[in-house]
Amino acid sequence: MKFLDKNTIKLDKELNELDKIVLDFVKILERHVKYVIVSGYVSLLFGRARATEDIDIFIEEISKDKFTALSKDLEKKYWCLNSDDVNEIYDYLNSGLPIRIAVKDQTIPNFEIKFAKTLLNKDSLKDTITVKTQLGKIKISSLERQIAFKKYYLKSDKDLEDAKHIEKLFKEKIDYKKIENYKRLIENAKT
Amino acid sequence: MQKLKPDKDNKQERMNFVEYWAEFVKNNPDKVWSKQQNLLINSQIKNAQNFKISRKDYLEMKKK
Repeated sequence: MKFLDKNTIKLDKELNELDKIVLDFVKILERHVKYVIVSGYVSLLFGRARATEDIDIFIEEISKDKFTALSKDLEKKYWCLNSDDVNEIYDYLNSGLPIRIAVKDQTIPNFEIKFAKTLLNKDSLKDTITVKTQLGKIKISSLERQIAFKKYYLKSDKDLEDAKHIEKLFKEKIDYKKIENYKRLIENAKT
Repeated sequence: MQKLKPDKDNKQERMNFVEYWAEFVKNNPDKVWSKQQNLLINSQIKNAQNFKISRKDYLEMKKK
């Protein structure tokens, strides 16, 4: 893997079945809405040796009409685990709840999707890295944000291990001041 | 490449492995490490596809 510029990484990995599912899904998503993948899958994309059952995604808040169009596009291949009613699904998102979408007739893996409502979440849509693979592009949150959230917000053993993997892998590229800033923002958001 | 450090503490031993593996990923071509990672991930996806659980039961399970 190599940085093509500050916000673009070229990844030459042999894509696994999970990567292919993610690439297929985000191709549909990006036709309708700004998105960013956060949390565990980011570490997996860069080689972390563990499995996962969900892929966390923030999308920008969109109107019901826009969401209905996205939903129509998705329903050819995917289903929502929470409801079949697009109005109900939209209401969940609008009230800050996550929804889960999987390939039809399957439950795992699934995409856990939330509207980016808080300032911190909205910020993650702006602070992204594009990862170029053989089969397309994936937008992920910045490495610093990824590390800060895993280390100072989520903090489970699995999250600390994910953060360590990213930190070790990109040691020379990481802006540690940026991690400190995120740490402060996370702590302030908690209080 | 440094050898994997053993440790009596399971948590620390796991973290040592995370560092060891990240070092391997860093120092090998993407195609090499991804082949190994894919064994793990592809088998999970295959298992998941064979594991039939309803939407309702899955969401109930997540609540717990």
